[in-house]
Amino acid sequence: MKRLTLTLALLLVGCVQSTGGQLVSFVLEGRGDPAVATGQPLRFTSGRGFDVTLTRAKVTVGAVYFNRQNPQSYTLEQSCVQTGVYTGEVRGGLTLDALDPTPQPFPVEGHGTDAQTLAAELWLTGGDILATDDQTPILDVEGVASQGGSTWPFSGVLTIGANRVVPPRNTALPGSNPLCQQRIVAPIAFETQLAQGSTVQVLVDPRAWFADVDFSSLAQVGARQYQFSNDGSSPRQADQALYNGLRAFVGPYRFTTPGTTP
Amino acid sequence: MPNRSALLRHLLVGFALLGQAAARAGDVSPPEVVSRVDATLPAEGTPPPTQDHVLLEFNVGVDGLPSNIVVIESAGEPWDKASIRALEQWRFMPARHDGVAVASRTRLSFGMPARAMPVVPDAGTDDGGSPDAGQFVEGEAVDAGHPKHELNTTVLGRGVPKSRGAGDFALEVGELKAVPHSSATEFLKLAPGILLTNEGGEGHPEQIFLRGFDAREGQDIELTVDGVPINDSGNLHGNGYADLHFLIPELVENLRVTEGPFDPRQGNFAVAGSADYQLGLAQRGIIAKGGYGSYGTERILLLWGPPGETSRTFGGVELFKTAGFGQNRAAQNARGVVQYEGRLSDSTSFRVGAMAYGATYQSAGLLRADDVASGLKGFYDTYDTRQGGDSVRAQVHADLHGHGANFTWDQMLYGLYDLTRVRENFTGFLHDVQLPQQTPHEQRGDLIDRTSNAYTVGARGNARARFRLFERNQEIEVGYSARVDSVTGVQERIEAGGNVPYLRDLDLASTLTDFGAYADLNLSPVWWLTVRGGLRGEFLTYDVLDNCAVKTVRRPDPTNPPGNASCLSQQDFGLPREPDARNSATAGVLLPRASVLVGPFKELTFSGSVGTGVRSIDPQYVSQNLDAPFASIFSWEGGAAWAHRFEHHETTARAVVFGTRVDKDLVFNEQEGRGVIGGSTSRLGALFAGRARGEFYDVSANVTWVQSKFDDTNLLVPYVPDLVGRLDGALFHEVPWWRPLDGAIDAKLGVGATYVGRRALPYGQRSDVIFVMDASAEVSWKWVSLGLSVTNLLDTKYRLGEFNFASDFRTSGSLPTLVPARMFSAGPPRALMLTLGLHFGGES
Repeated sequence: MKRLTLTLALLLVGCVQSTGGQLVSFVLEGRGDPAVATGQPLRFTSGRGFDVTLTRAKVTVGAVYFNRQNPQSYTLEQSCVQTGVYTGEVRGGLTLDALDPTPQPFPVEGHGTDAQTLAAELWLTGGDILATDDQTPILDVEGVASQGGSTWPFSGVLTIGANRVVPPRNTALPGSNPLCQQRIVAPIAFETQLAQGSTVQVLVDPRAWFADVDFSSLAQVGARQYQFSNDGSSPRQADQALYNGLRAFVGPYRFTTPGTTP
Repeated sequence: MPNRSALLRHLLVGFALLGQAAARAGDVSPPEVVSRVDATLPAEGTPPPTQDHVLLEFNVGVDGLPSNIVVIESAGEPWDKASIRALEQWRFMPARHDGVAVASRTRLSFGMPARAMPVVPDAGTDDGGSPDAGQFVEGEAVDAGHPKHELNTTVLGRGVPKSRGAGDFALEVGELKAVPHSSATEFLKLAPGILLTNEGGEGHPEQIFLRGFDAREGQDIELTVDGVPINDSGNLHGNGYADLHFLIPELVENLRVTEGPFDPRQGNFAVAGSADYQLGLAQRGIIAKGGYGSYGTERILLLWGPPGETSRTFGGVELFKTAGFGQNRAAQNARGVVQYEGRLSDSTSFRVGAMAYGATYQSAGLLRADDVASGLKGFYDTYDTRQGGDSVRAQVHADLHGHGANFTWDQMLYGLYDLTRVRENFTGFLHDVQLPQQTPHEQRGDLIDRTSNAYTVGARGNARARFRLFERNQEIEVGYSARVDSVTGVQERIEAGGNVPYLRDLDLASTLTDFGAYADLNLSPVWWLTVRGGLRGEFLTYDVLDNCAVKTVRRPDPTNPPGNASCLSQQDFGLPREPDARNSATAGVLLPRASVLVGPFKELTFSGSVGTGVRSIDPQYVSQNLDAPFASIFSWEGGAAWAHRFEHHETTARAVVFGTRVDKDLVFNEQEGRGVIGGSTSRLGALFAGRARGEFYDVSANVTWVQSKFDDTNLLVPYVPDLVGRLDGALFHEVPWWRPLDGAIDAKLGVGATYVGRRALPYGQRSDVIFVMDASAEVSWKWVSLGLSVTNLLDTKYRLGEFNFASDFRTSGSLPTLVPARMFSAGPPRALMLTLGLHFGGES
């Protein structure tokens, strides 16, 4: 009898199969540059040859999404929100200190599936990705740059709101260049399969924000103070380059999972 | 003088069920007497009978009850009435046609006691008992074998198709009507393996799961009512969409569910199988019922069956209204049906009828489980109160049936009009993406508003000949079905918070034809072997005008921007064109089907079947092509059926193993809000079913296990249940200890229970178990009845349908949620319904 029961149980277990995949929950952490000691400024030489000492570097990430869209297939015309491609989401914001190498957990748990993830999206927003305006400070930086004996103490707070509206490409495409596209940094290559209970980290390298910034073009706002403009239409190279650096999907941001080399 | 207070021992019951003689000639076995009641002698002073017998003609329903009793030959009114009163209390085993219980009409002769005859002046001595029913009583019974009474037992209605094996269920509803059934669809649960769910509301058709198929609202199951098709060809909600709510449950007499495509009569959509509803009203006279129940539910039902006509002659009207449980579940509907069955000659009968149905309903739709768990939403709440729908159906039908000694034929014509409008929002605010040519907009909401209008005319017919071969009766049948559908369908998206459409997804005008022809051979070379099967040809044509053929263009003309229009008049690079496109195509297929039945050996019959089926493609997928694709099905089964009948009891049991492969299965898509074509799938399963019936009970139970997998990945097909069990039971008897005012009180108890195992859901998830019980009780006295039904007796809070997909109803902040999450439709809570019924002017 026992043998029969065991056989039936094994058969039953054998019959219980799955539709494949699973739903998962995970933790997302942000980390600053691991080369920096906590509380210490970050010194580096930018791509344009400026010696930069960064004393404040904070970025507000409203949400993070993972998807299975191949980064190579992203197009300018695709809408901000795709359908049926997402594999993970963390729907809670964090103002991440990029000068703090210790893990900074996002305030909400991430949810998703174990389907193959190919790309990540950083949503730089204070809340609504479709809002016509948003005064949330997305980037807050301060430091000193020097080159050839000249010094530019700088600071800057960037928002992504009405100040960043880009006109449509042509009159036949009034919906092209929606503001939400300005707020989404994507595709950030991230190939993984999310696992239940796992931890994902987003590493922020603030050096990449300044890689192409010509500090000499900064607007002087005081005796020895320069400031990045928050005006999206500013013609100054430094203003445009920092904003472009903030939104660069290659360089400033890297996703990893514990156990992999940062 | 005779003792007039006693039961009639003097009014002799010399009777014969004369149809027995006729039964030998064909494959109809006449009804058999189960119990009889002696008649009471007419009162003293009654004139003697005018002749030596009273000949009565009457129906014997599948429930074994005599009805529609007509005096054919009278012996005088008091004697006629005495005979009728006695016969009304008789109970029969119903006639059987090919082993299937059927309603029949037959005659019975009551012999007058010789002592009561004028020529016997001393009649009335109390010196003898009544003879046993069915026995010829020498010298007193007079009519058995009387030449002018050599009558056939006539099967009422149309012929019953021959069984295709253990998976072919000819279901008599019978006393199981006592089990609460809120709609005619629920009778399907008498067949094994069927689960019904409904996320669309009170008037929305139930989603049918059968043998591991998610048949949605009928796309994978061919549904007919007395042969008239119910599936809508070309309906945008699903090709084959079938709404059974136009049927009045009380008029459902029998149901044939053929699981699998094994009968050549089965046509388009018979993927998982087919079901044919047979309507009838055994009770004669006028029946009026009024019900009031939980959640403001009100129901008025009027039925009438003219005495003297068959059970297939009836009329009925039902009005229904409910506020619905929880939010946004109000519904109202009305349905009416009339039908007349008559005879043109002894060998030809006809039937004409009409049906009408109108409904409007609200729907709560689906809820996210996490919103309910966090208290953002209640279990019976809704996200979008604009969900719901409207349905209209009108039907006229007429048919002829003729039979001779070795030849029968049927011919049917019908016309249908169907309107279905369904408004559903499965995903909230996800799919209204910003397209470059559109004016910048936010998500405007995913409410789908889908309307289909269909006009259908059709015909079907068959002819069956009997011939001798191997010194045994054999049969061949040929038949056809033909229908033409003119369908228009529009699907739009409605802006949140209002009723303004902002996007047109589909705008189709289709003319569809479906011709089927078959030949079916029934060969029995020896008594223990029967081979049934043949070939069906199905030919489909499509002519589809897509009025919205262009929705996006690459590089539009800057001087003529497409803007927000849904249906564009330009093509890539801004080149002009008309917004429509016409596609026509045809599809043809041959479908062989065969069954082998071996036995019965000691009441056990073994069977095996193989067959192929077909499902036509949705018109929106038709492209200009000579050959249109369709889904092909291959199915097999093997089983055993056991039937045992003893004096007052009848027991049947079946066991079946089955397998099916479909090359283009339908899988639910939340964005489309319906099933869309997926990959090929296969199924393997087994079922067990049994039913026991007797004088005071009727119990049916079944359980089905099935595993459905995708052929390429070997992963389970989501949403279909792998374990379904169902129990229906009824107890019915006259209250023995109380007969107020000399009227018997009949009592009925009904109970139904459904068990559904944990269904496979996407992403390796499993649903909750469903276990729900319903019960009812009814007492009737003379012309009054009072019933109470309780659905979800245990008040279980359960999820009727469960899903896993991405949705965003903006309940938790402005950031969209884009990953799959558990969604569900709430099963109804406990509901009571009190029904008062009146019955006038007829017999049962």
